[in-house]
Amino acid sequence: MSLLTLEHVTKSFGNLRAVHDVSLEIPKGKIIGLIGPNGSGKSTLLNVISALNPADSGRILFEGEEISKRSTDEIFGLGLVRSFQDPSLFFKMTVLDNSLLPVKQQQGEKPWRAPFHHLWRKQEAAAALESSRLLEQLLIRKHYDALASDLSGGQMKLLELGRSLMGNPKLLLLDEPTAGVAPKLAYTIFENIAQMRENLGLTFLIVEHRLEILFDFVDSLYVMHMGQVLTEGSPAEISANSAVREIYFGE
Amino acid sequence: MTIDFLSTGIALLTFFGISALMALSLNLEYGVAGIPNFGKALFVSVGAYTAALTYTYLLPLLAGKTPIYPCGANLTDALQLRTGIIREAMGIGLLNFLLTLVIAAVIGGLIGYLASYPALRLKEEWYLALVLLVGSEIVRILVRGYEPIICAHNGISGLSQPFVALGNPKLASFLFALVILALVALVFIFSERLIHSPYGRLLKAMRENERVAQSLGKRITRTRAQIMVIGSAIAAVSGVLFVVNLGFASANDYVVALTLDVWVMVVIGGIGNNRGALLGAFIITVLDRVTAIAAIQLDQIGFQLEFTYIRFILFGLIILLMLRYRPQGLLPEKPLTTEAHSLLKTQAQK
Ligand SMILES: Nc1ncnc2c1ncn2[C@@H]1O[C@H](COP(=O)(O)OP(=O)(O)OP(=O)(O)O)[C@@H](O)[C@H]1O
Ligand SMILES: [Mg+2]
Repeated sequence: MSLLTLEHVTKSFGNLRAVHDVSLEIPKGKIIGLIGPNGSGKSTLLNVISALNPADSGRILFEGEEISKRSTDEIFGLGLVRSFQDPSLFFKMTVLDNSLLPVKQQQGEKPWRAPFHHLWRKQEAAAALESSRLLEQLLIRKHYDALASDLSGGQMKLLELGRSLMGNPKLLLLDEPTAGVAPKLAYTIFENIAQMRENLGLTFLIVEHRLEILFDFVDSLYVMHMGQVLTEGSPAEISANSAVREIYFGE
Repeated sequence: MTIDFLSTGIALLTFFGISALMALSLNLEYGVAGIPNFGKALFVSVGAYTAALTYTYLLPLLAGKTPIYPCGANLTDALQLRTGIIREAMGIGLLNFLLTLVIAAVIGGLIGYLASYPALRLKEEWYLALVLLVGSEIVRILVRGYEPIICAHNGISGLSQPFVALGNPKLASFLFALVILALVALVFIFSERLIHSPYGRLLKAMRENERVAQSLGKRITRTRAQIMVIGSAIAAVSGVLFVVNLGFASANDYVVALTLDVWVMVVIGGIGNNRGALLGAFIITVLDRVTAIAAIQLDQIGFQLEFTYIRFILFGLIILLMLRYRPQGLLPEKPLTTEAHSLLKTQAQK
């Protein structure tokens, strides 16, 4: 069954058609890659799905429900969590606070309850333990009280992944989860992603320029070019596709 | 000339307490939540105008008397009615004072909520600062020209603090200072507990990156409105205390300079740190008093110095030095928020 469906989605900035008539399907429990040259519209597509830049036209369905008219925070609430291509941690906050922020239904996040700590202490403690386990798995547990800005580039990417998971997602839209990370750590990040799909039944749509790693982990890929979906297929099909080779390698 | 140290000390504490409330409210709005409220004087003035209205209408009603329109031909009668009740019936004066605080907080909160509407639309935060700055001045000029609130440019007097009924001015001002300091303590504790909670975490996240906070499920517009409500309610309470301490409400007191004073307090104290806000309020109050006294003393020995100029030069100098040498303020913000951190710490030690 398709978890996320896009039908003829278009988004323009002035005269620029950043996303043009894009249709795609993300099946539940799969890891789907989204690749394409710089400026082909990948990040814009994620912005459209998460309603940061709402679509001009077309339909977006999540679990069969139309979400094109929903706001960014509501879309998160439905279980559709995204990460950003640019570093987007809260750098002046601790690692732990970064990871706890997305936790849903926090009693202590209501201003009339927040000053009375006994009203939310238990819930906060439970979330902290969950975060502790996750940070441990992502190898950054020991930095829990460091500022996010003090992490290395790779650790930041790990924290970003962890933070997305703390929002209890069904589908994760990851925009270059290994950008600027050493190859070995990039591999670790993808191993974590594969494990989360396995253990938690999560679904992923991953924008990534590191094709050699991506191809090892995805079930299938969409290729974008100039705002449109050029083709779709398994890693083997995509690497054999002459049109893709042409836009990527100029062959 | 001799200085009465006790009275000076009490006056200093009173001014400090009132400034501290303003600084705490701005620290919550700007320091923690990142909302550049350059309309602080407006929200303070709401409290002052509320007091003018309750002293004119509510106070006589509580005393079982008929309120009198406070301006024009009735000015003296209305004044005598107010001061008479306050001097003779301390219970009623106190009740009126407490109700004024509550009503001012409610009206202040309401106006803060309305003011958050441009805040929702104006994505660029410095536009918002400008709108609030200009809006504050416009409201002031309107009130200055509109008689029924504080008799337009004449202002309204006889808004005495309730303890004057004791007949002992020193004791009265001491008790009043205590009430103010108790309110400061209350607001300080409230604000500290708010910051060290998941809500505080949300505010800091919103301050740092609105877009990302939103994509993590946070409702930015609603949160901003909440903070404007809380901050403006506190500011209005400080406005009541300010005007009741002076005994006189005048639109001339709520100029942009008041807003800037509060900003100076928060900036030198430490943006985002409540203790910093208190320290900033204390420093500015002391400087303010010292320069005022110095100006009077110098005046007596023949130096003609304009007090406001000394003040402006001094404050400007302080801001420049702070920005150059310690932009994070005297007491920088601490990053830790909730108890979750100590939980992980003990967990690690096991
Ligand atoms: N907010 C915006 N306003 C105007 N133009 C935009 C905006 N966002 C993206 N664009 C344009 O849309 C096009 C697609 O950009 P997008 O960031 O989606 O590409 P991308 O595939 O993510 O590229 P990269 O691999 O470099 O990240 C680009 O030409 C870009 O300049
Ligand atoms: Mg991109």
